[in-house]
Amino acid sequence: MKSVMKILSRYVLSAAGVALILLIINFAVLAAWAVQNSRIEQKDYSVSQLADGLTKSGGIYKLSESARNTIEKRFQWAMLLDDNGNIIWSKNLPGDVPLKYTISDVAVFTRWYLNDYPVYVWRHMDGLFVLGKAKSSEWKYGMEVPLKVMDNIRVWIPAVLILNGAAAVLLSLLFGLRLFRSLKPLTKGIEDMAEKRPVKLSTRGLLGDLAAGINKTSAQLTKQEAALNKRDNARTAWIAGVSHDIRTPLSIVMGYASQLEDDPNLTVSRREQAGIIRRQSERIKTLVSDLNLASKLEYDMQPLRKNTISLPALLRSVAACFLNGGLSDGYSIDVTIGENAQTAFLFGDEELIRRAVSNLIANSIRHNPDGCAVKVTLEKSLGNCTLAVSDDGTGFTQEMLKNLNHPIGSGGLQNHGLGLTIVRQIIKAHAGTSEFHNLPEGGCRVVLCLPVSGNC
Amino acid sequence: MNDIFDCKLLIVDDEPELFRMVTEILRREGFKRIISASGCKEARRIFALEKPEGVILDVSLPDGDGFSLMREFRAISAVPVLFLSARDEDEDRLLGLGLGADDYITKPFLPRELTLRLCAVLNRAYFPVVLKQNAKPVFCLGETRIDLNSGAVITGKGQLTLTAKEFTLLEKLYENRGNIVTGDSLCRAAWGDDLYGYENTLMVHIRRLREKIEPEPSSPHYLLTVRGLGYKLTGVKNK
Repeated sequence: MKSVMKILSRYVLSAAGVALILLIINFAVLAAWAVQNSRIEQKDYSVSQLADGLTKSGGIYKLSESARNTIEKRFQWAMLLDDNGNIIWSKNLPGDVPLKYTISDVAVFTRWYLNDYPVYVWRHMDGLFVLGKAKSSEWKYGMEVPLKVMDNIRVWIPAVLILNGAAAVLLSLLFGLRLFRSLKPLTKGIEDMAEKRPVKLSTRGLLGDLAAGINKTSAQLTKQEAALNKRDNARTAWIAGVSHDIRTPLSIVMGYASQLEDDPNLTVSRREQAGIIRRQSERIKTLVSDLNLASKLEYDMQPLRKNTISLPALLRSVAACFLNGGLSDGYSIDVTIGENAQTAFLFGDEELIRRAVSNLIANSIRHNPDGCAVKVTLEKSLGNCTLAVSDDGTGFTQEMLKNLNHPIGSGGLQNHGLGLTIVRQIIKAHAGTSEFHNLPEGGCRVVLCLPVSGNC
Repeated sequence: MNDIFDCKLLIVDDEPELFRMVTEILRREGFKRIISASGCKEARRIFALEKPEGVILDVSLPDGDGFSLMREFRAISAVPVLFLSARDEDEDRLLGLGLGADDYITKPFLPRELTLRLCAVLNRAYFPVVLKQNAKPVFCLGETRIDLNSGAVITGKGQLTLTAKEFTLLEKLYENRGNIVTGDSLCRAAWGDDLYGYENTLMVHIRRLREKIEPEPSSPHYLLTVRGLGYKLTGVKNK
C-alpha cells in the first residue's frame, strides 16, 4: 500500500511539474517571438527612416532609393500631408483615398485604419508622413494597460504560476485517484501472493489484464507450493515410517543377541560375536533415529522446545557425560569458557543443542581411534557466542568439508557424516551458523556461532 | 502372591516374533504366568477374563491404539501398565506417561532394560518397600567413616560434623560417586542457582569439606577436582 501511495504522489508531482514546465515554455516562446518580431520591424522598415528618406530639394520632394524600394516591397503607398490636411506628396496613392483630411480624420486613421488601409505615421519636417499597406494585410489595435497592473507584474506572474500549479496538482490528483483505486486490489493481490495466500482478483477495469496475470501466477504458485509440501511431507513421513517399522525387527535382533551374549553355555568367542551383533544393532538404532531427526530438521518438522539455557553449564555437563561414560586412555576433553562467556545464555532447545555438541565430540572420538585431545571453547562477543569444538586428530576429508560447508540442494543427507549434518541443521534451526575447518597443524575445528539472549 | 514373579502378565503385541522373544526374556527372568493378545479386541476379552496383574502394551495395534486401550483398562482396574513402543517421539512418550502409564520403553531395547523396568514397576505396585524415611547411606573413604544420617565424619582422630552446605555437596557427590559432577549441578543442589558468581564460594566449601574428609587436604585422594568441569568422589566403600 505504501508503494501505491508513493506512485500516486510521484504521479501528481510529475503532472504538476509538466504543467508548470509547459507554462514556462509557452511564456518563453511568446516572449522570444515578440522580441524577434519587434527587432525585424525595427531593422527593416522603421517608418521614421522612410520619412527621413523623403527630402525636399528645390521645391520637389525626392524619395531616396532605398526608401522607395522598401515602400514598393513592404508597403503599397505613401503620402505627405501638410499641416492643413492637404497631400503635398504621394506615391502609389490608391484612388479610394481622399486627398484632404480634417484633424478628426487624421486622429481616426492614426489609431485605426484609413479606408480599411492599415497606415503608419511619422512626423516629417513639412507635415505628417503617412505610410499605407494593402487592405486586410495587418491587424492593428493599440493596447492600453493600467500602470498599476504593470507595477504589480512581479506579483501576478508568480501568482498565475502558482494557481496553474495548484490546478495541475488538483487535476492530476483526481485522475491519479482513479488509477490508485484500480491499483489497490492489485497490490493487495501481490501482497497476498507473497504471503502464500491464494489470490482471485476481478479482471474488469483499467488494469484487468494485469489482474488476470496475477491470478494466474498465484494459482501456479499455490499449485507448486502444494506439490512441494506434498513431496516434503511424503519424504518425512516415509523416513518416519521406515524408522518406525525397523524398530520391531531390530528389537528382536538385539534381544536375542543380548541373550546369547549372556549365555554361559556358549564359548567366549561366540559370546563376543553376539556382543558385536548387539552393538551393531545399537548403532543401527542410533542411525535410524538420526536419520529421522535429520529429515525432520530439514523440513522444519521438528518441534523446538525452547528455554533459556546456560551454555557453560551445558558444555561442562556434556563433557562430564563423556568422561563419566568411560573414555579410553589417549582421549581427553578440555572445556574452556571465556571470562565474558560465563553468562552466555541461549534461548533454545536444550536437548538439541546438547545433541549437537555431543555429536561433535563423538565425531572426534570416532574418527580418531588412536586417541585425540578434544578442546571445547566458548567465547562471547556482542550478541553472539562462538562455540568451537576442535581436536588434534586426522581432520575431515576435502569432500566432507565441501559437503558440510556448502550442502548441495535441499537434501543435505549425505551418506556419511549424518551426525554432523544434524549439527548443522540444529544450529540453523537456532538461527546460528556452523563452519567446519581443518587445522593447519592437524585435526579439525568446528565453529558454531549462536545468538545469545543477553545477560540474565 | 509371594513375589512379583507370581504376577500374571498380559503382553499385547501384534508381532508374534517379538512376543515370543519377550516371553522368553521374562520366563528366563522368572515370570511364570504370561499370556498374550495380538490386538485390542482380544486384549479386552482376555483382560476381563484373566484379570492380569501387569500389562505390557504396544502402542500401534492393528485394530486400535494402545493409549485408548490403557485408558479402558485403567477405568476398571489400577493394574500397572508398561508401554513397549516403536514410536520414539517425545509427544508419544509424554502422552503415554501423561495418561498414567507406569513406564514407557522404546524399541529397540535391551532385554535387561525391560526386565529391570518391569520388576521396578511391579515391585512398586505390589511390594512397596516401607522406606526408612531417614535412612541415608553410611560409607568409608579410606579410614574415614561418613554417616550421612547424622552428618558425622569419624576419623581416627575424632568426630567432625558437616555443615548444611557441606552435607548437601557431599550427598550429591556420593549419589554420583565415581562420576564427574559438574560445578553447575553442585551449585544447583546447594544454592539453587547457576554456577556463575558462586565459583569461589563453591571452591571454599569444597576446601572445607576436604579438610574434614581427606587425610591430606592439600593433595586430595577422594574428592578430586576435574579441571574446568567439576568434582568427583572416588574410592567410596560402603559399610
